[in-house]
Amino acid sequence: MNDTFIISIVTFIYFFSALTYLTSFIFGKRQLDRAALVITVMGGTIHTAAIILRWIYSYRLGIGHAPLSNFYESLVFFSWAIVIVYLIMRKRYNNSLIGAVGIFFAFLPLAYASLSGKVIADIQPLIPALQSNWLISHVISSFLAYACFAISFGSSILYFLKLKSRKTFQRILPDLDFFDDITYKMISIGFVLLTLGIITGAAWADCAWGRYWGWDPKETWSLITWLIYGAFLHARLAGGWRGVKMSAISIVGFVAVIFTYLGVNYILSGLHSYL
Amino acid sequence: MFKKIYNFFASLKLTIFLFLFLAATSILGTLIPQGLSPERYQELYSPRLFSIFDFFSAFDMYHSWWFTLLLVMLSANVVFCTFQRIPRIWRLTFRGNKIIDDSIFESSPIRKTIALQKNLPGIEQQSADIIKTLVATPVKDEKDGRIYLFAEKGRWSRLGMILVHLSIIFILAGGLIGTIWGFNGQMLIVEGEQSDTVTLFGDAGMKKLDFSVLCSDFTIDFYETGMPKEYRSEVTIIEGEKEPISESIRVNHPLKHGGIKFCQATYGIAGVKNFQIVAKNITTKDESILQLNMMKKVRLPESDTFFAIAKFSPDYEGRGPAVLGVVIEPDKPHDIFWIFGDDGKINNQKEGNFTFMLKDFEKIYYTGIQVSRDPGVPLVWFGFLTILAGFILSLFLTHRKMWIRISENENGGEIKIAATTSGNRKDFEKNLERLLPVSGAE
Repeated sequence: MNDTFIISIVTFIYFFSALTYLTSFIFGKRQLDRAALVITVMGGTIHTAAIILRWIYSYRLGIGHAPLSNFYESLVFFSWAIVIVYLIMRKRYNNSLIGAVGIFFAFLPLAYASLSGKVIADIQPLIPALQSNWLISHVISSFLAYACFAISFGSSILYFLKLKSRKTFQRILPDLDFFDDITYKMISIGFVLLTLGIITGAAWADCAWGRYWGWDPKETWSLITWLIYGAFLHARLAGGWRGVKMSAISIVGFVAVIFTYLGVNYILSGLHSYL
Repeated sequence: MFKKIYNFFASLKLTIFLFLFLAATSILGTLIPQGLSPERYQELYSPRLFSIFDFFSAFDMYHSWWFTLLLVMLSANVVFCTFQRIPRIWRLTFRGNKIIDDSIFESSPIRKTIALQKNLPGIEQQSADIIKTLVATPVKDEKDGRIYLFAEKGRWSRLGMILVHLSIIFILAGGLIGTIWGFNGQMLIVEGEQSDTVTLFGDAGMKKLDFSVLCSDFTIDFYETGMPKEYRSEVTIIEGEKEPISESIRVNHPLKHGGIKFCQATYGIAGVKNFQIVAKNITTKDESILQLNMMKKVRLPESDTFFAIAKFSPDYEGRGPAVLGVVIEPDKPHDIFWIFGDDGKINNQKEGNFTFMLKDFEKIYYTGIQVSRDPGVPLVWFGFLTILAGFILSLFLTHRKMWIRISENENGGEIKIAATTSGNRKDFEKNLERLLPVSGAE
């Protein structure tokens, strides 16, 4: 079976799962939360299978490489990373609303990849610049970092929702501290992963371009992201900041993440033109 | 005065300001293209904007005085903050803890006192279990009829923060070393030629190497889809009397020689050679292949007419590669016309007996090799390793200490608890609350 077809099915599974989480949250039904988890795990399993299948197909085409090499594959992997991070973090922060937002974020890149018709889904051979052992570690660490930041972005949005919403809705939302804590935890793990992503990228750049840092737009934007989240962690750990300011920095940070991922390629130009 | 400067550089406000200000200014350098020629910038921007940008070195902003100043301030900030915190962290990490320390129950950040209404059997075991669950297996001591329990874990976690900050200093220092003692540039070598001079980036002049690099061959491989598969330069290092070293340089597979790294960066076509032109006699229908180079005339078969190539175009009027042919017949003006490779288009001589077609030619490539030397790289790599080690220490280890003192008398007694944690204090307190055997009064 075609892996892109499977991915379009997974897109619907995630949408359904996010919807189930939302229903569970609104009506306060724990059974629905369990059901949503089952749907998510099912979607995640099929998603994983599709990625592996694509990997196998690339070998059948004689251009075997990990499916982490073009825009389509990066969207599929980004979504996968969000699901993985969500499934890990939910052990500690179990709340249907976080599930709804997290899985909705996993749904978005897949929906764009498989339904917009603008993303080329063909398996392409690796251009010379991408033929490196650094590819896998660089992409995995970067996208896991992006996924952590996506969840922290979601919880920051929910923080403001709790803060600004009407009384009736406020009652069913968890504490502000709950969201604040998720934002912090996700950012601290994401920050380490982003650092790893930048380090593997630097090692790769040194090998491919003869310098580990060259102020290429992608490099610069990854540093901008790093600096914003670095400021967040310093404010929180050394300054004891909490709440509104933290959630605001987290949202700004995620804007930088999205720009690092997409904006650099679609608005600016540079060496990193293949994502 | 010194105190003021010290406080300024050791302040958290400066850290947050520098982080966010560096982030904001870095954006500018991605919006204004960097390192183009002044003429190009004058085309892009109005004279007024140009002079403003030029004043702030915005065309090479990451190496400008003010950006460098920000980085220097960041380094000072890291150094001051780290060294300010070292004594305390050192103490917390390495100072031995007394098992019997009554003052800790008054001074510790997490404290609890539980009054016992009556003597509870097994209270000591229960206390030990709590410590074991939250921290580690405790050690025990007794004094004046009181029982003291103590445990500690994750001593090294606080060193993680120190290590992370030292790493930033290593990385910035490595970058500085590279800027001062390293170089970065490009060599363009035509196939069959050699060079020992590197054109440095950023208008920094030329750099002569101790050896020459000969490019014997440059090849591009393509996939079936037409996408490039491999760029490869076959090079030979020629160094005085030494045995020449032949190696190939591919993208992601640089060549290192004498501390200098050579990376495949670009390529281009320097020229063309060995043309093959099919000349067809219209009357006899005989075809013959002319082999010639630029500006060398050859005689057409069975005639006193000569043919030569005057010019080559890689893509003439969008019709693909073409050569400008010249037919030289005695007592006639030269006949000049473009010759294409496409079979569909017959390239007729205007008047005469032959048609021509460009069958084949060979490209002479030049290879563009990025040449760099950076003595700061080992320090940067070291910084990368230590920053990861630092993150692992602070992320996966939590430094926790916990003391319990049990005093019993005929009326009951009390349990006093003291603890410190480098992790989430709320979680710790919540877990402690859950484990406590009796709810007592503070």
